[in-house]
Order: sequence, then structure tokens, then C-alpha cells
Amino acid sequence: MRTLSMGLLLAGVVAGTTAALRSAVPSVGGTPAPELTSTSWLNADRPLRLSELRGRVVLLNFWVFTCGNCTRTVPSLVAYDRHYRERGLTIIGIHTPEFPPYAGEHDKGNLARALARQGIAYPNAQDNDRRTWDAYGIRYWPSFVLIDKRGMIRYTGYGEFHLDDGDFRTWDQRIQQLLAE
Amino acid sequence: MTKFAMLVLATLAIAACHDHPPLVALEAGPPLRLVAAPRVRINARLKPALELDDGTVLRFDSPRVTSDSAYFAAAPTVATPPSGSRHGTLRLSVCPAGERLCRLVVMAVAW
Repeated sequence: MRTLSMGLLLAGVVAGTTAALRSAVPSVGGTPAPELTSTSWLNADRPLRLSELRGRVVLLNFWVFTCGNCTRTVPSLVAYDRHYRERGLTIIGIHTPEFPPYAGEHDKGNLARALARQGIAYPNAQDNDRRTWDAYGIRYWPSFVLIDKRGMIRYTGYGEFHLDDGDFRTWDQRIQQLLAE
Repeated sequence: MTKFAMLVLATLAIAACHDHPPLVALEAGPPLRLVAAPRVRINARLKPALELDDGTVLRFDSPRVTSDSAYFAAAPTVATPPSGSRHGTLRLSVCPAGERLCRLVVMAVAW
């Protein structure tokens, strides 16, 4: 056995399927967004709750700093934040680790350094227990949930995008639409 | 490991792959080697972990990564202890090209 190349194929226990990748799904009328419950935050002087953000559009970004697809999307989110924060958009990073604590993703100092490295000024919640990830039924890094001024989920989607590409413009239009309502 | 155990493992592996194309293969060495399927990239910023049943955590690594350090450019390997547990849980983050996202893969393995 020791000399046998097993070719043990791994595919079954995957956190998701390949169906309908990256397609943002509009929810007509929306569904109520689960409340945020994280107690550990960065770039916020106290834990944020959606119930306190009524009247603002909220974009949740589920990410982790070890995910290249996530970090390459951050410049787009920083651009949205700079452009729309004063007009009523709140971007919230939901930092959900992939691995157990031994990988360092749970460490608040590591996350703080990642935020500084990427120029992220918007609030980030540590979702170390995956409670928020599970509440929203998220399966991939990065994922996005756009919530309207009434606290209803209106658009969801996932997958890396870049400044001024098609997905960037689509999310930009959705943000503008909800800000205008 | 007995031939019977090998057969069980192979059966489990095939069953696990029934609904999805294989993403990676674990090749017994030594050292153990993770080989990604074509167009599947293994996240190098989160080194794959082999959590042995005795609590030991081994991390796969390779000196060759992509220019942005995001993915392995050569199959990552890990040396296993000469004795002790020969089974555990494999955990890795895979980012298939074209999907523009990362997913977590967790699976029981033995060698």
C-alpha cells in the first residue's frame, strides 16, 4: 500500500455545486434579511445590527483574507464604499474562516492587518462560528447579499469581479436602484 | 493496511465521486501529494491540512506558487510520520478556474 499511488479521488464533500455559478438572483419584493449577531467587529466602534440600518442600503460581502478571489474583489467594494457611503450605502464585510483556528483566519490581529493591507475602511464582522454564513445559506467565497432600505434581501450572488467589468457594473446598477427607492 | 481496507477506501472514493467530477487526487508517497484536476487550483494562502486521528495537523506545501501567491503551481506535498495514524481528515480550499470563487473540501482519507 505504501508504494501504491492510490489516486484517491476527492470530490464528494464539497461545500456546494457548480450550478448557476455567479448568477445573482433577484428576489422580487425580497425576503427579510437575518439579523447580524457577531460580537467582534473591526472598523466599527460597536457591533452593527441591521435593525439599526433601516433606511440605508446594505451590501454584505462574505469573504476571508486567505481567498484570492475575495481579495481581488476588494478594490471594487472599496470603490463602492467611497462612492456611495454618503448616499446611503453601508458595506459590511462578513469574515468567515474556511479552516479551523490553527490556520490563523480566526485571529483578529490577522484580520486587522488584512484590512489595512487592502485599504478597507468599511465595517467587518468576525463570523468565526459561521453563524451568519449559515443564517444566509452561503456556500462560496466571495458571496454578496444586497439588502434594501426596509431590511429585505433583494439580490444575492457570488464570485470574483473587478473594477469596471460587467459584474461590477451590474452590482453598481443594483446599488443605485435600491438607493433610489 | 490490508487489501480489504484498500478496497473499502477505493469504494468510498468512487462513491464520493459519483455526482461530481474529481477535484483533486491524493497520491500516497511518501510524501503524500495532492494533485489537482485540470483547471482546478489549490489555494496556497490556506495550505491544505491533513488532520490525523491522533490530533496531529500536517500542512501540505510547495515552493512553487503562482505569481500572486494565491495558488500552488506544483503539487503540494507533506511528509507523514513514520509511524502512528495513517488516516484522518483532509481539508483544502479549491478555486476552480472559471468559477472565480473558492470552496472548501473536507474528506476522510487513509493511505
